[in-house]
Amino acid sequence: MPGKVVEKQTPKPRFINAITGNLGAILVGLKYFANPNRFTLKYPYEYIELRNTYRGFIVLDMKKCIGCMSCARICPASAMKMVKVTVQEGKKPKPYPVINYNRCIFCGMCVDVCPTEALAHLPVHDVVYLSMDEMDLDLERFQQKVESPSVKEGVPVKYVFDPEKGLVKVPASEGGES
Amino acid sequence: MSTTTTIPKKLPGMDLKKIGKDLYEVFIGPQHPGSGHMRIIIRVDGDVIVEADPDLGYVHRTMEKLAEGREFIKIVPLMERMAILDACNITLPYVEAVEKLMDIEPPPRAKYLRVLLCEINRVASHLYGMGIFGVFLGHSTMYMWPFGDREVFVELAEKLTGARLTHTYAIPGGVRRDLPQGFKEDAEKAVRYMFKRLEEYRKIFLDNPVIQKRLIDVGIISKNLAAKLGIVGPNVRASGIKYDVRIIEPYEAYDELDFEVPVYEEGDAFARAWIRIIEIQQSLNIIRQVLEKMPEGDPMHEKFWAKAPPLYKKVFQETKRVKLIPLFANLKVPAGRAFARAEAGRGEVVYMVESQNAMKPYRVRVVSPSFRNAIVFKYIVPGHRIADLPAIYGSIDYFPPEADR
Repeated sequence: MPGKVVEKQTPKPRFINAITGNLGAILVGLKYFANPNRFTLKYPYEYIELRNTYRGFIVLDMKKCIGCMSCARICPASAMKMVKVTVQEGKKPKPYPVINYNRCIFCGMCVDVCPTEALAHLPVHDVVYLSMDEMDLDLERFQQKVESPSVKEGVPVKYVFDPEKGLVKVPASEGGES
Repeated sequence: MSTTTTIPKKLPGMDLKKIGKDLYEVFIGPQHPGSGHMRIIIRVDGDVIVEADPDLGYVHRTMEKLAEGREFIKIVPLMERMAILDACNITLPYVEAVEKLMDIEPPPRAKYLRVLLCEINRVASHLYGMGIFGVFLGHSTMYMWPFGDREVFVELAEKLTGARLTHTYAIPGGVRRDLPQGFKEDAEKAVRYMFKRLEEYRKIFLDNPVIQKRLIDVGIISKNLAAKLGIVGPNVRASGIKYDVRIIEPYEAYDELDFEVPVYEEGDAFARAWIRIIEIQQSLNIIRQVLEKMPEGDPMHEKFWAKAPPLYKKVFQETKRVKLIPLFANLKVPAGRAFARAEAGRGEVVYMVESQNAMKPYRVRVVSPSFRNAIVFKYIVPGHRIADLPAIYGSIDYFPPEADR
């Protein structure tokens, strides 16, 4: 059954509302003053342990790559390029993908289109690069698993849904599988 | 000692020009935080606005032209950049138009998953609009609360799609991911929380006499004017016109769902604030229904699975992730012209896709809701005082990147 239109009217303000309206607003404000509902992340002292399904930075497994160029072809931002590399002496050079994070929009299409699962997302969304040139990765660095800078000293946390508080910040070890 | 007062010739950020006796021209924007990436040129007589001129185009990115040089699937992430919190709603008609050209119909489960993300997006989009509305009126609490609660729905969308804002979820033939483990429970928690919060929004914002004094009878769009200007979305429904694409031309799974579309008669800023709250309630109802009624099956068209290698099925079983076949990179769409529309958070979005049996479209035409709503400033702002301008601007929920595209 499809949706239906319902005609409504905005409540007309009456004189009593000048008292009850102000009082109600103040009471709600006071309720949250006494018992605030905060879920601020104290970044970088805390960091979110992201889900495994998160579309974060991308890593290449060179052993699985067959050089089909599908990832470079589907990339909507032309972030992925193919480079020809001679892996074994005496053999023809083979194309491998490299990524330019200046351009990448993390749509994850390259990971999804890879026929051998050579590309994979890492659950990382914050990596520090000191210059723009550094964000243009070469084949060597594209295979390294990058790490969030807050991992070294920060505390991993997780957000879990809660019917009373919306989201609740808990230590990552208590969060359970999500 | 003589006292000389120096009058600054030009105030920083504001260009003031005298154009007649007691008539000044004030440029508000484009850097002004209250105007977003647009400029409203107003002419004031004392404190009263006599003329207003919306000046758009500051974030124009030539998306339609860029689309002509891209393959069909690459246009989905491009068009997403129109609206930050409305990614699924704003790209869905494009995907539908391409599907019409290719003569494929997504499986029922994909339709429900699309509706699910659309409604999550609508809630987040309305909350964003309410937050901006609140801060325009100087109500900082109403700014912080919806922006915080928006996070709940952004998190929900991230759980479903893997990305917080730019989901790239709907693709021709279906969707990219199936429902993850435990999503239903989490969504139910989020919905229950939001229902509770809407009641508190009403208490602190809509029932607040200070807000009522600033919104009631401000920026009235009459039924005739709304029809004449062709505005869309919650704004037109707050003016008493029963227009919602979800009802007029149900797309995806909307004809199987039971929901209400609120219509208000008043047409003032207060009605536009109320309609958003009621629409969030209805969206929450739809999210509940979708999760209950969702049929079993594949989130991708059967033609796709016929071509997919065994590894793809294995990955789908393990991670619920639909891998794309390399064919998507050079998808050839049959020649023709297709037209599709959907109800996005801010109103009706229309796409026209023309293909000439090639890998790239000949033309992609977009009509976005905010572009159709922008003209309203010219007609309803005159007659109000400058202090009412933020209230009107906030109530329209105008979003420049969507209008300029």
